[in-house]
Amino acid sequence: MNDLIPLMVVIPIIAAILLNVLHGKNSLVKIVSVIIAICLPLILLLSNYGLHYFGGHSPLIDNGDLLNSFPSFISNTNLSNLHIGITYYFGGLQKVMLFFLFLLGFLAIFTTINERKRSSGSYMFLIFMGLGSVTAMLLSDDIFHMYIFFEIAITAQVGIILSSSDDQKYETAMKYMILGSIGGPILLTGIGFLLGLVGSVNITDISNAVKSGLIDPFSPVFLFSFGLIFFGWIYSVGLPPFHTIKSAIYSKATPSGSAILQALSVIIFLSFGLAILRIYSHLPFVNGFIIFFSLCGMILSITMALVETDLRRIIGFLAVGELGYLGLGFGIGTKLSITAALFQGLNELIITALLFIGFGAILYLTKTSNINKLGGLIENHPKIAIMVLIGGFAMAGVPPLNGFQSKLMLIQSALNANFPELAIIMILISIVTFMTFTKIFHAVYLKPKPQDLKIEKTLVPRSVIFSIAILLIICIVLGLMPDLVVKDFSVFVGGLI
Amino acid sequence: MIDVQTAALLCSGCFILVGLYAAIFLDNIIKKIIGISFIEEGANLFLITLAYKPNGVVPILLPDMSPDWFITNSAYPLPQALVLTSVVIGASTLAVILAITMVLYKKHGSLSASKILGDSNE
Amino acid sequence: MIEYIVMIIGVLGSILALAQRDLLKASILTGISGGCVAILFQILLAPDVALTQAIVGAAIVPVFLALAIYKTQRVGKDD
Repeated sequence: MNDLIPLMVVIPIIAAILLNVLHGKNSLVKIVSVIIAICLPLILLLSNYGLHYFGGHSPLIDNGDLLNSFPSFISNTNLSNLHIGITYYFGGLQKVMLFFLFLLGFLAIFTTINERKRSSGSYMFLIFMGLGSVTAMLLSDDIFHMYIFFEIAITAQVGIILSSSDDQKYETAMKYMILGSIGGPILLTGIGFLLGLVGSVNITDISNAVKSGLIDPFSPVFLFSFGLIFFGWIYSVGLPPFHTIKSAIYSKATPSGSAILQALSVIIFLSFGLAILRIYSHLPFVNGFIIFFSLCGMILSITMALVETDLRRIIGFLAVGELGYLGLGFGIGTKLSITAALFQGLNELIITALLFIGFGAILYLTKTSNINKLGGLIENHPKIAIMVLIGGFAMAGVPPLNGFQSKLMLIQSALNANFPELAIIMILISIVTFMTFTKIFHAVYLKPKPQDLKIEKTLVPRSVIFSIAILLIICIVLGLMPDLVVKDFSVFVGGLI
Repeated sequence: MIDVQTAALLCSGCFILVGLYAAIFLDNIIKKIIGISFIEEGANLFLITLAYKPNGVVPILLPDMSPDWFITNSAYPLPQALVLTSVVIGASTLAVILAITMVLYKKHGSLSASKILGDSNE
Repeated sequence: MIEYIVMIIGVLGSILALAQRDLLKASILTGISGGCVAILFQILLAPDVALTQAIVGAAIVPVFLALAIYKTQRVGKDD
């Protein structure tokens, strides 16, 4: 049933509003949020692939009777191909991505409910709002629709930052919000230029117009719109010069909150990146731009991660640096590389969530995140230590975990596309990532325990161990059987190019 | 004399530039926020200007108009529908930023951006 | 002719708002330029957007700003 497609967006938003109203009724909030979090992946499994036209407004060409009733300058020209209403597309890529996103959302909600005595309806509101908005971004075929939900996702992200107990959270949220309010209208202006050229905000229509020669890809207006939309994309995903603020917001949120924030960022990255590829792939320098900014992002974030001493900042920088791999995959622009980038995005969503939640347990135990003050925690929690270690291996690309599979695909695609230097840089960065990870792992778990380290709580909540274990199982399964998801991705990419 | 559409485009450009100047260079946070609201107004005005048609009519089909005449003479309604959404979004983001500003003022006792945002470890 | 005057008033109002030291005056001047944009929307054949913008730009935004200023401080020390 294609009618289920909009429900993927509608249900989280309704749930969000409902939970906000229920705020204060402790057990009711818990029950409702868990039930809805379980229902969301089920909708995905029940729904068929296909298109959904809001309000039944399919393109005129699909609707013979109505088409004939219009004058000939509409029915015989490209105007009959225009998408009139908002269109949602649901395919294999969306199914896989959203399934793991909703799973992550479930784990975050579950962890939060178990960690806090009083569950907050407002926090659930933010999580569901974020999930719903990025779902809409991934499904939508309409760039203005994506912009609206992008703004909602930014506001939800700010709310998630504010719900933590860090003392610098307001400053970080303020900076993020000011940058976001500048980036949002700039993105809107870029969309306005496209709208002025084509007369439609539908991505398929715009790319058809470019392909059929209706608009000249080298006209200054089109180039200007590229500049503005590209700026908005860079801001939204945290490539340089926005990598510091992006990693700062990860380090200020609660562990499960950071996992959600990173998941939202990855989906925003993918949906805007795919839109940019579809609209602007006829411009020769677009790929160069994406590769340049991604490389800068990777190198700068990794260097920052090497010199930081705050545990959460390091993971934040590593997470932002990993986004550069996605950018490289998009930038190389072949079928294999885009598939690999999508797969890498999925892996990153899972692995960084694992690391944020895993190292978040340390923060929960000791109330400090300075790596110089930590040490010797392997005696207390060997299980978590081993699971986090395997997660770090997955991030660095050690076989047979999922990070290895996607990075191998990326490197192969770079070699096939005659970019051997990019392949070398990717390998080097992944070695440095591994080094950084071993450094923090040693500092937290292996080195002798400092005298003044106080363990405030002895037990990690079961839900945290449960979440880490689930994420780890996904890592291993995807590493052993990447075809489970890669097939869907390559079908999607095949339709794209 | 330049025509209305060009003048409105220039006006929206002025709004965006003034807003960008305020949001980037002014130190007072309230002034930054006022600048942000100007950027949003400029972007909205830009979209509405795209939809304008010289000597056209408002895109509302009245009973005494023939559809053919209406199609060729009305302004384009799509950007107007989009702006309606983005005006409301602008107002709500503004409310969120102002709320954060009030909390920050309580904490730092100042509205200076360099004082509030400068001393965090960024 | 009136549209050009409205545009000039709007842009001047925005610049004046940023030049004020008294933040309350700045917020009121923001309302003036928001109202000018609303009139421009009406001139540019978008009456329904003009209604929304008149409420949001000329009333809600200045009131929000004024409330925030009332809760913080009225005079910007340095700009």
